[in-house]
Amino acid sequence: MAEDLVLDTAIRDWVLIPLSVVMVLIGVLRYFVAKLMRSSQTPDAKMVKEGQVILRARNLRAAANFIPTKAFRARKIYFCNEENGLLFVPKGQAQNPQAQMFSDPNMAMDMMKKNLSMIIPQTLTFAWVNFFFSGFVAAKIPFPLTQRFRSMLQNGIDLSTVDVSYVSSRSWYFLNLFGLRGFFSLILGEENAVDDTQRMMQMGGFGMDPSKGLSAEKDNLDITQHDWALPNFEQRAETVLKKLVS
Amino acid sequence: MVAHGDSSSSEKKLGNGLNDLPTFNAENLQQNMKTIHYSRTFMSIIGGVVAGIFGFTGLKGFVLYFLVMAFTSIGLMAKAKFSVHSYFDSWNRVLLDGLFGGLMSFVLFWTFAYDIVHIF
Repeated sequence: MAEDLVLDTAIRDWVLIPLSVVMVLIGVLRYFVAKLMRSSQTPDAKMVKEGQVILRARNLRAAANFIPTKAFRARKIYFCNEENGLLFVPKGQAQNPQAQMFSDPNMAMDMMKKNLSMIIPQTLTFAWVNFFFSGFVAAKIPFPLTQRFRSMLQNGIDLSTVDVSYVSSRSWYFLNLFGLRGFFSLILGEENAVDDTQRMMQMGGFGMDPSKGLSAEKDNLDITQHDWALPNFEQRAETVLKKLVS
Repeated sequence: MVAHGDSSSSEKKLGNGLNDLPTFNAENLQQNMKTIHYSRTFMSIIGGVVAGIFGFTGLKGFVLYFLVMAFTSIGLMAKAKFSVHSYFDSWNRVLLDGLFGGLMSFVLFWTFAYDIVHIF
């Protein structure tokens, strides 16, 4: 259908703009509620220790070429030897992450809080949009799309003759939900944007086996080739000094 | 543009250009990447509003998006004083990183501005 629909200006003033504004405000509210509910848990001493060991090993790997071969080998053995190296994890000692999670009720509680702070506002807004604004053609995207997008963009309108580029209010809600993420990262600071993805990661590999990190780092360190950089530095110093003199 | 102006303070000098060894401070590199994402998001939102107000439809809008992104890349390079390797580990960081991340924001703000100005 090529001819344009005539949309009432009142739809813009009372549906499109309020809906968008409410979405933004809800996002801000959710951010602050999540901030309030965030409990500062005291980290487990063993986990912190392992994390620091991994960091040290990583630093060693990054700066490997700046220390003599002998020193590097000594450090490598300190980290990787098979008896008491820091990165060596005896078999069977790895803790089951599931059991670990249940042994610490705080962890599960925290996860639930995070989940709830995400789900509750979304359900409420969706119900609100559904109740007040169902069945409006609220917007029109400025580029043509194929029929496949009809179910995505015209959720709540059951007309097959309307052009696909018209967007129902419910679908406008979804568009806002996904599209405002970048906007939030601007107005609420970077941490908000990372938060969502990080939360996902945490949920996916919750209580991820720390020993896995250790052994992965051990493998990385094992295959690191050492190539001392100092011999080349003389040449470099020469060029730099020559440049200074001339 | 504004985005480049206020991002200046966070860009730090990493290593010096003469060095052929990779001497990057991972944290500073991450900070610079963050700055890039920030600028790109900002520019995509601004670009979306501009496209909507001018009433671009169809392909024209997307062309505008990529123009804006190219412009952002040039701005970032200028900010790095065209010696990209002292701030980032490769050119792709400046040219390609986050190129499509801002597309969703762009489309949303494009639609929003276009609807408010043109279709009612």
